[in-house]
Amino acid sequence: MKLTRRDFMKFSGLAAASVALGNLGFDLKPAYAHAQILKIRMAKETTTICPYCAVGCGIICHTDLVTGKVINTEGDPDHPINEGALCAKGAALYQMINNPNRITKPLYRRPYSDKWEEVTWEWALEQIAKRVKETRDKYFIRFNDKGQEVNRVEAIAHVGSAALDNEECWLIQAMMRALGLVYIEHQARI
Amino acid sequence: MGGKSFFIDTSRCTACRGCQIACKEWHGLPATKTTQVGWGNHQNPKDLNFYTYKLVRFSEHERNGKVVWYFFPDQCRHCLEPPCKDVADGYVKGAIVKDPETGAVIYNLEKLKKVPFDELLDACPYHIPRQDPKTGMVAKCDMCIDRVKAGLLPMCVKTCPTGAMNFGDREEMLALAKKRLAEVKKKFPNAQLLDADSVRVIYLVLDDPKLYHEYAVASKDVGITRKVALKKLFDPMGWLQSLV
Repeated sequence: MKLTRRDFMKFSGLAAASVALGNLGFDLKPAYAHAQILKIRMAKETTTICPYCAVGCGIICHTDLVTGKVINTEGDPDHPINEGALCAKGAALYQMINNPNRITKPLYRRPYSDKWEEVTWEWALEQIAKRVKETRDKYFIRFNDKGQEVNRVEAIAHVGSAALDNEECWLIQAMMRALGLVYIEHQARI
Repeated sequence: MGGKSFFIDTSRCTACRGCQIACKEWHGLPATKTTQVGWGNHQNPKDLNFYTYKLVRFSEHERNGKVVWYFFPDQCRHCLEPPCKDVADGYVKGAIVKDPETGAVIYNLEKLKKVPFDELLDACPYHIPRQDPKTGMVAKCDMCIDRVKAGLLPMCVKTCPTGAMNFGDREEMLALAKKRLAEVKKKFPNAQLLDADSVRVIYLVLDDPKLYHEYAVASKDVGITRKVALKKLFDPMGWLQSLV
């Protein structure tokens, strides 16, 4: 067999790769069924905040370096609020990303329709803006019964979310007040 | 002795079920059908199953006209002398192994297919192993052996927000259990540790363990059967090997 320089490089590259893999601790001996490799061993760690309630527990997201997918979530021991602990909802955060039941497109049910249909984000956002404007224009109260200037809208309510952070809350509050809303509430108190 | 142990302080358990969910998430196990209809209990699911290694059991009782509500985070006890291993060794070597470093009792899902499941379940004093009817595989808590070997806490312990779940070196856990027992005994004279000398998952309960769960303490009529004992007798070398 004649070895060209190119082939030689290929082979030596392969040998180097197998040596490298051999040193990474992949023990393929079936002696112990439990000698599993820790799945988060090579994962990238990113911290995040649990979106489910107002406590705001710290969570570590483990992301696979190759696929970029979240492979595990668990409590962040360095976070002062939960010190690594999580309740049943927080512990289930992994399912928020990896879940076949997750809704990823806006759904719309037309008046008198009995089913949901997929719509585009552009269409949905435009519809929401249009209806907010219509309702606000129709029910805007400039003066109350005593003749005092109040500039408010009682026909729309805003229900916030525990998943919002401080800055998002500020933006929402500013926008809703600008529209004249008075019913601004948080889901945790409903 | 050495190895690792759990200390589960049920007096601190609020039944949030964080441990139950965290266990499922870590092991990547699917959801199972649950119902609260027809048996009047908040516990979910109704029993351990092939996809549920950890289950917080709920039980309600009446005491002097008052309701007492007990929570019991049930799981494999990782016995110091696991009877299930004795059964499995009689059929397939290595189907159940005891990790020498931690003492964890580990099931090999594939090899265990060759061990009759009813014998395995009968041998367990705590009624823990569960079989997948489709594949014939048997599974239970593995002490998160991959995590523990990497110096991490088992997922159920890591996630517990109240300090009910504890994990560490056996001596430390036994000391913690005894200290905590002395504390709660002042208020609950019936408080006790369950089978602390024979298992690696030590429960602290405030009342008669039977009020928590039927199999909270080892049932007396199980353990190794005559058949298994005879096998041990005729195969002393195999038995010795299995100890290693």
